[in-house]
Amino acid sequence: MDMSAKSALPGTSTIARDDAVARFIANEKRTAQQRLIRNRLLALGFGLLVIAIWHISTEAGFVHRLIIPSPIDTFWATGRVMSAEYFWPNVGVTLSEIAWGFAIGLSSGVVFGVLVAMFDTVRATIYPYLVALQAPPKIVLAPIFVTWFGFDQPSKIAIAVVMSFFPMFLNTLTGLSSVDPNAVKLMRSLTAGRWKTFRYLLLPNALPIMMAGVKLCWTLAVLGVIVGEFVGASAGIGYLIYAMNFQLDIAGVFSLIILLSVFTLVIYQLIEWLESRIIFWKQL
Amino acid sequence: MGLIEGANLDKVYSTATGPLVALTNVSFTINEGEFISLVGPSGCGKSTLLSILGGLEQKTDGDLILAGQHHDAPRRDIGMMFQTSVLFPWRTIRQNVRLPGEILGLDKKQQADRTDELLDLVGLNGFGERFPGELSGGMRQRVALARLLAHDPRVLLMDEPFGALDEFTRETMNVELLRIWEKTGKTVVFVTHNIGEAVFLSDRIFVMTPRPGRLEGIVEVDLPRPRTTEVMRDPRYTEHVYDIRRMLGVDH
Repeated sequence: MDMSAKSALPGTSTIARDDAVARFIANEKRTAQQRLIRNRLLALGFGLLVIAIWHISTEAGFVHRLIIPSPIDTFWATGRVMSAEYFWPNVGVTLSEIAWGFAIGLSSGVVFGVLVAMFDTVRATIYPYLVALQAPPKIVLAPIFVTWFGFDQPSKIAIAVVMSFFPMFLNTLTGLSSVDPNAVKLMRSLTAGRWKTFRYLLLPNALPIMMAGVKLCWTLAVLGVIVGEFVGASAGIGYLIYAMNFQLDIAGVFSLIILLSVFTLVIYQLIEWLESRIIFWKQL
Repeated sequence: MGLIEGANLDKVYSTATGPLVALTNVSFTINEGEFISLVGPSGCGKSTLLSILGGLEQKTDGDLILAGQHHDAPRRDIGMMFQTSVLFPWRTIRQNVRLPGEILGLDKKQQADRTDELLDLVGLNGFGERFPGELSGGMRQRVALARLLAHDPRVLLMDEPFGALDEFTRETMNVELLRIWEKTGKTVVFVTHNIGEAVFLSDRIFVMTPRPGRLEGIVEVDLPRPRTTEVMRDPRYTEHVYDIRRMLGVDH
């Protein structure tokens, strides 16, 4: 039998086979797309359902509108709060507190993490105290800090620093310590000293764990500032929430919570984007 | 006088349950350009001996001389390779091979040319801009081999470098290693627990036994070079493997 006769048999020609493969791939692609759309619709539908239940139960009077405002009330309250004269100055106060708290907590966490990881003397001297300090929930310090640093920004920044320091410190320390012993041997065999080992091996190797610390650090800096403003403040989003809650303007409180969540999430996403930029490699 | 001379080397670790003798009374001479294998079961001290040769660990007692000098610290004319490739995943293949040159502050232009040559030598031409995560285990060990040669060390210390590879890849790597060794004339000390691999590669084999780690004997491999996998059919190959098994007491 010659080749042309063979390929003329139905279903065995390469063209027919290529066709089948192409159909199969197209089909797989379609299924994946359909699954994605379906998942999106499910999530969206569930969200709408929750809002609908919320809406109906407030409209029908199952819960008092003063206690839980309806979605529509919340929507209008958001507009009202955002266009109020007092809103932006308060936002500015809180944002600068968060920015300072985050920056100081992050950088001091990194510095202490590096010092404890790299120098045995530093580790022996301060590590036990850092571990002990980590034990109590840092929030207990909030009232004292307000007493020490006053009603203005410094006390809020101090709380944010204390709260965001620890995850950054611990993740830096863990990251610098989680290293393949053979990689350290390799560096030593190349006569690399402490600084070169740090720069070429330990630091890049620690970055993935450190970036996880940055995200925790961010969340806790926001938390620290808001708690600080609850405890004692004369300005800021936490202060507004506290004041509105006192005036039973729950719709206003809801809108502030939503705005704060959106802001925190946006920065969080930004950090994740930065992370994907910094850690571009695949772990072995 | 050999390139490396060890006389009555001892290594003792102190542990919670008392002193642990890792090496006792080990003496040997290694000549320039020789291919030596250290063979033995786990606990025989072969990796400890390799670490001492690399200057990463200190002997407890005895004399160790390298190129006429007492030797007890890492040196730039010694290169080490391990069972895992220890490539840095954030560096490209080319950057990984250039690591020793960067750390030792060697001439950049020269290192760039040398990296091209080495990637060629290990058969990874065209992979320079890839990252380690994109390569198979065998290819990563090829990169590690290129990095080992980057700063042109005189002595290569290899700690079970192909131990984690599958049998077929290991054999290919053995042939490649011999080809590269014959081309460069380096002195190699190669740790393995695979007797066949040791016989295939070596000029001489140091057979080591555990508890405590001792040098049981030295086998001179009487097989022609250059070698191909054909030598595995040579009766002398089988004879050597059998001799070593007998020295290790693993024949049942």
